[in-house]
Amino acid sequence: MAANRRTSQRLTLVMLVLASVTVLTLDYHGQASHGITDVRNAVRDVISPIQRGVAAVLHPVGDVFSGTFNYGSLETQNQQLREELGQIRLKLTADAYASAEAARVLSLAHLPFVAGIPLIPAEVIDDSTSNFQSTVELDRGTSSGVGPGMPVVANAGLVGSVISASSSTATVLLETDSSSSIPASVGATGLYRVLGAGYGRPLTLDYVAGSTAVTRGELVYTSGLGGGAIPAGIPLGVVRSVRVSPEGLSTAVTATPVVNLNDLQFVDVLEWLEPG
Amino acid sequence: MTASSWVRLVFVVAVGLVFQVAVLDDVTVFGAHPDVMILVAACAGMAAGPQRGAIAGFTAGLAADLVVNLPYGLSPLTFVLVGFGTGLLRANLAARDVESTEAATCVAAAAAGTLFYALLGALTGRSGMLGFVTVYALVVVTLGAVVLSWPVLRSLRWVFAGSQDRLGLAVPRGGSAV
Repeated sequence: MAANRRTSQRLTLVMLVLASVTVLTLDYHGQASHGITDVRNAVRDVISPIQRGVAAVLHPVGDVFSGTFNYGSLETQNQQLREELGQIRLKLTADAYASAEAARVLSLAHLPFVAGIPLIPAEVIDDSTSNFQSTVELDRGTSSGVGPGMPVVANAGLVGSVISASSSTATVLLETDSSSSIPASVGATGLYRVLGAGYGRPLTLDYVAGSTAVTRGELVYTSGLGGGAIPAGIPLGVVRSVRVSPEGLSTAVTATPVVNLNDLQFVDVLEWLEPG
Repeated sequence: MTASSWVRLVFVVAVGLVFQVAVLDDVTVFGAHPDVMILVAACAGMAAGPQRGAIAGFTAGLAADLVVNLPYGLSPLTFVLVGFGTGLLRANLAARDVESTEAATCVAAAAAGTLFYALLGALTGRSGMLGFVTVYALVVVTLGAVVLSWPVLRSLRWVFAGSQDRLGLAVPRGGSAV
């Protein structure tokens, strides 16, 4: 009897492992992957009202935890966020006077790097559900014009890009995520790729030749290359350290994101389509 | 598993998923947050043995992967093994029948499962799964599991209360039906 039980248990385990591997394999297959994405989007649409409601109630609670570790920057950011909140509220009005006001606010908001690109204001309603991915969830989706691939910015610069969008929500991959790779430039000194390294880790600049003159404190901008997925000229980091290899053949450059990604609440999604 | 066990399991998994997404995702420390879904798999094995633990883990994993943007199937594969593993350990704890030991085992299983998930993700080609992020995730998931293990274990006992396996043996609390 015990032997029968063990056989049954092992058989169940093997079948479930095989089912899991099958599901994993299907996700890499184009058609099935689309189906899985559709199911995920549907689940997000169902859960998003709860997320919004709980976010409205529990944002202060979450802020207690994050504030414990980020208190030093909270007061400074508070004023910036109040200004941005006021600006975003203005942008939401639909009549001509409000549009003119919004245009004036946009110029006053010192966001010249997105001049001329339509913006969709959004609020962050959730952080990443996975501990191994740096993403945030926005309260705008395809019904508001948000789509995969659209860049997302905050008051100071780039936040990341939309990687998936349901009808009512969108998921943004932050520039600090380990899988993030953004074509960038530093002043007039060359073209690089900025790689995320995960939470709390600085951005790294790839393809930096040893003779390149990069200095600490320089701003890193998006270059607009790599297919033009993100428009050029958006600030994304500040050079934090520059280390030249002993042979002088390469330079290791790290950068700090210009936007405080630990405390995002309001962002703008750029209605930017890749050229061609 | 009986029909009522299935209904209760689906209910607990759904509540756990909503709780994870709506509440726990906002409780971040060093960029990581507690994970109640892996704890559901671990406690299911502890509450009902390896076979039901694996089934519950598979169900919880399918639900968990619906709200992340990583390869679909990583969580089911991980949680199946976590649920099965704690179910096997359950037999060894039966003689002691101490709830705190069972909860501690679930916490350890959740931590081990998180590490396995990171390894599995790295093996499937995802970059950044192994590194400081793994350490932060391990610490925070473990701390969260310490806080949540007792209520989750109670919930899973409720799910499988009164259920019998195919050989007609009931699943007593703490005792072994293996």
